[in-house]
Amino acid sequence: MAEVHVIGQIMGATGFSESSLFCKWGVHTGAAWKLLSGVREGQTQVDTPQIGDMAYWSHPIDLHFATKGLQGWPRLHLQVWSQDSFGRCQLAGYGFCHVPSSPGTHQLDCPTWRPLGSWREQLARAFVGGGPQLLHGDAIYSGADRYRLHTTSGGTVHLELSLLLRHFDRYGVEC
Amino acid sequence: MAEAIWSTDTGEAVYRSRDPVRNLRLRVHLQRITSSNYLHCQPAAQLGKDLIDLATFRPHPTASGHRPEEKEEEEVVIGWQEKLFSQFEVDLYQNEAACQNPLDHQYRHEILKLEDSGGRKNRRIFTYTDSDRYTNLEEHCQKMTTAASEMPSFLVERMANVRRRRQDKRGMEGGILKSRVVTWEPSEEFIRNNHVINTPLQTMYIMADLGPYGKLGYKKHEHVLCTLKVDSNGVITVKPDFTGSKGPYRIETEGEKQELWKYTIDNVSSLAQPEEEEREQRVFKDLYGRHKEYLNSLVGTDFEMTVPGALRLFVNGEVVSAQGYEYDNLYVHFFVELPTSSPRSLPRCEILWGHICLRPPWSLSCYSLLSSLTLSSCLLDNVAYFSYPFTFEASFLHEDESVGALPEWPVLYCEVLSLDFWQRYRVEGYGAVVLPATPGSHTLTVSTWRPLELSPVAELRRFFIGGSLELEDLSYVWIPGTFKGERLSRFGLRTETTGSVTFRLHCLQQSRAFMESSSLRKRMRNVLDRLEGFSQQSSIHNVLEAFRRARRRMQEARESLPQDLVSPSETSVS
Repeated sequence: MAEVHVIGQIMGATGFSESSLFCKWGVHTGAAWKLLSGVREGQTQVDTPQIGDMAYWSHPIDLHFATKGLQGWPRLHLQVWSQDSFGRCQLAGYGFCHVPSSPGTHQLDCPTWRPLGSWREQLARAFVGGGPQLLHGDAIYSGADRYRLHTTSGGTVHLELSLLLRHFDRYGVEC
Repeated sequence: MAEAIWSTDTGEAVYRSRDPVRNLRLRVHLQRITSSNYLHCQPAAQLGKDLIDLATFRPHPTASGHRPEEKEEEEVVIGWQEKLFSQFEVDLYQNEAACQNPLDHQYRHEILKLEDSGGRKNRRIFTYTDSDRYTNLEEHCQKMTTAASEMPSFLVERMANVRRRRQDKRGMEGGILKSRVVTWEPSEEFIRNNHVINTPLQTMYIMADLGPYGKLGYKKHEHVLCTLKVDSNGVITVKPDFTGSKGPYRIETEGEKQELWKYTIDNVSSLAQPEEEEREQRVFKDLYGRHKEYLNSLVGTDFEMTVPGALRLFVNGEVVSAQGYEYDNLYVHFFVELPTSSPRSLPRCEILWGHICLRPPWSLSCYSLLSSLTLSSCLLDNVAYFSYPFTFEASFLHEDESVGALPEWPVLYCEVLSLDFWQRYRVEGYGAVVLPATPGSHTLTVSTWRPLELSPVAELRRFFIGGSLELEDLSYVWIPGTFKGERLSRFGLRTETTGSVTFRLHCLQQSRAFMESSSLRKRMRNVLDRLEGFSQQSSIHNVLEAFRRARRRMQEARESLPQDLVSPSETSVS
């Protein structure tokens, strides 16, 4: 079996129109993968940038997988939410990123999108807040029903991931 | 014979030790330099019996103040935090009124006991341990510069406070799950402990009282010989370093008589027994070995392998964005086409596993979500983000052994369309790119074009009503499927450049051929090692070394035997 170490951090996000942001993240893998150590999902703190645009989380990701095959390579899915002064949470964007497959350090910029509702819902969102959300979170990382969606872009989430691969050359995999 | 050169390097040295610091032993040798012992360096024992013993010519102590040798030289072995009293302290603590805290009383008690049992062993060399007043004062008021007005700064005050509270040993507590992460009202003590990063140190000073003989016990004659600092992680800082092969250090006293003293510091801590060390190492090896086995058992040894002779291409990708398009509300239609077999006997490709839907015979296509152009303020040009994941796997079977046949790599086609409010759609662009042949992460930008018609009517129609020219066969973008012959001519097609689409692809390749080459490389490396004779050379060296040792042992044995046994021929003859 081959092993993959994913070590990195979710640095922060830029380009969102809302300011107090937090991020819920998770890693989804196929059936042949087993998580040996690390937490598979989490939520960052709420950050409000004082100067500039970027909200910094610096949230650590440290995972160790063992795998029997190449299918189901891990994918990272993100949901960025904003929290206002009343404590209500509003969706700012869904994002997705494949975990890279070549060893080394990668800087990843993950753009996000959120579902648009009708013009009535858009108006309501501008004044009161709220807005449509996905019913099933797995639509973020699977592409099957995506064509049903009408979306608009959110900001970008910046990640820095380092990848260590082990024993892949024993099974003839070049990466 | 000249003395060893003085060592002027009094910088500190940092050591690390895993053993507890109570095993540390230092030997300090202090000697005053006088003209007599500067020149006189050979001990009398080595001279032959016939010559006069030079010891008789040594100068006797006279009344002018030459001191006997014993008082000018001192050697002490000191352990960690071993308290040796100076003359000053002995005088001070014998007086009950001078004892202010329990430590002073304890010293007094010890001094009285020492006096009863015959005086202390050390004369000039003494120590200040961690709990002495000197240590705290020294740390607080130590001057670093020559400025007369140097006062301890704010940070020094804070550090001193933290160090004085060394009694509560706070380890590295990284409590992960604390119920309250933020302390809203920190107390003074909390601030003091947490705002200054400091590992607790234990200090010890080895001092020497270099006053004139008979006038020991004055504070002004105290000099620091050595400073030892040990922290809880086993880091030992010795300033100045052990002398070892360097020459001794020297101190020049000030005052009316400028005297020169030299001293050496040696590490005489006893080493661990080799059996104990071996046992320790075995325990560690067992522990780590067992942990490794446990991890291995979790991981297992099987892995999905390819059929021999096949190359498997595995691509995780995403459609990232599209930029530079005229209209809003874009969507991307893309698919990957694998080259098919043809009468020219090109190798055949097969899909083994597709993600969304298969369109026969060998392609794989996906639809992506709709996305509108972003309206956020930070982006200047028109970019629409999709962030759409796809993944596919293709396998290439090398069937025929024709040498010149290079595999044709799959091609990624994309088509960008826009959908407007009235559900009309327009073609925005066509593009295609070959998948990268090397494994790794690639960001590909596909520039797109759309076909134009000569007359302006088509453009007006596209603007007002919608609808545009479309390609019937999408493979025309790259190499049309119906292409035969040698030269591809697109003459007559008018196009206009539109924007571009960005893809990010992570490619992996798997094949048994890679396995063989890497194991071959490892085998070759072993053969090369053997050819170079590296191991042979080391074995020859071992044999020679053993021979030399045996020879030396024989020679020593010969010397130790009495003379008549060694030369048996003479005795037998006589």
